[in-house]
Amino acid sequence: MSTTSVVEAWTEKPLVRYVDQAGARLVVVMTTAGQVLAQHGFVRAVDLMAASALGAAIMASSAALAEQLGERSFGALFHAGRRHGIHLAPCPTPRGALIVLTVFGRETSIGLVELFYEEFAAALRQAAPVDQVREPVLATDFEADLNRSLSSLFRR
Amino acid sequence: MSLVNFTTREITCKIVYYGPGRSGKTTNLQYVYSQVPAERKGQMISLATQADRTLFFDFLPLDLGSISGFTTKFQLYTVPGQVYYNATRKLVLQGADGVVFVADSQLRQLDENLASLQNLQANVLEHGVDIRTLPMVLQFNKQDLPAELILSPPELDDALNFRGLPTFSADALHGPGVFETLQGIAASVLRRLSEGGGGIRRL
Repeated sequence: MSTTSVVEAWTEKPLVRYVDQAGARLVVVMTTAGQVLAQHGFVRAVDLMAASALGAAIMASSAALAEQLGERSFGALFHAGRRHGIHLAPCPTPRGALIVLTVFGRETSIGLVELFYEEFAAALRQAAPVDQVREPVLATDFEADLNRSLSSLFRR
Repeated sequence: MSLVNFTTREITCKIVYYGPGRSGKTTNLQYVYSQVPAERKGQMISLATQADRTLFFDFLPLDLGSISGFTTKFQLYTVPGQVYYNATRKLVLQGADGVVFVADSQLRQLDENLASLQNLQANVLEHGVDIRTLPMVLQFNKQDLPAELILSPPELDDALNFRGLPTFSADALHGPGVFETLQGIAASVLRRLSEGGGGIRRL
């Protein structure tokens, strides 16, 4: 089943449109630290958290290798497998540098993914807000909750 | 920076276990993984060499449960400790919300601990972050070894704890101190979210 989850609402409209247009199975928008900002598609295709950590690591190591070689960046990369392909690309936005992982199957092609990715990246850039100063999120007395949660996590 | 989803009321934080080679960073994560029920953890990923030394990182997602009405998730990472893996260490540090420095308590490892702490400071600075504003705790690991081989927690505190950070004695292989360390860094990171403002200061 296709599902959508977004941490920041501005990503949703361009994301859903991109998945439909490109015929992708799953698209994950993540920060360069490997945290999922949004995803749309068949989540059972992959472990989202693990995919994000690995995707961010691939992009970070590619960028570091580019720097070693005196290149500004290597841009997008893709891998084709027997049943799935992945397209992994950086996406600079006013919200900060993001990374987009597209997982696709045989029903589409890398050409289509690349074509619609450019539109998607532009739409994300346009929709992204500039970072704002964050208000307090948690209550000041959160520590009792934290201790209770960790105790249950470690079955104490 | 911690991700906060106000719609689904979810928080996600990135914690990095840092320290010299063989200090017990991966062992910390393995112990956590072994203790946490399946429904509260994700897949643990280890990018390691054939000799089981961390090559890039270990990764373990944890669901801490509800804190102040927010479902709170922590992503635990380790870095490779060996000096020559600095490029990858720097990459893993990117975007960290908190750091656990795992020190090796053995007397003969004191110089390695100091070098690793200096390396942490330099790498954090390269990401444009003021280390004084980065939530951090120290773990003195391998305190189970014979007393003649190790430094005591007060001695390690004198040698390594320049910032007066929270410290935890541990034996990560068997578990003592692992939970307390995680609790310590979780509290430091979440305290940021209860204070608001800019959090980690960029230089």
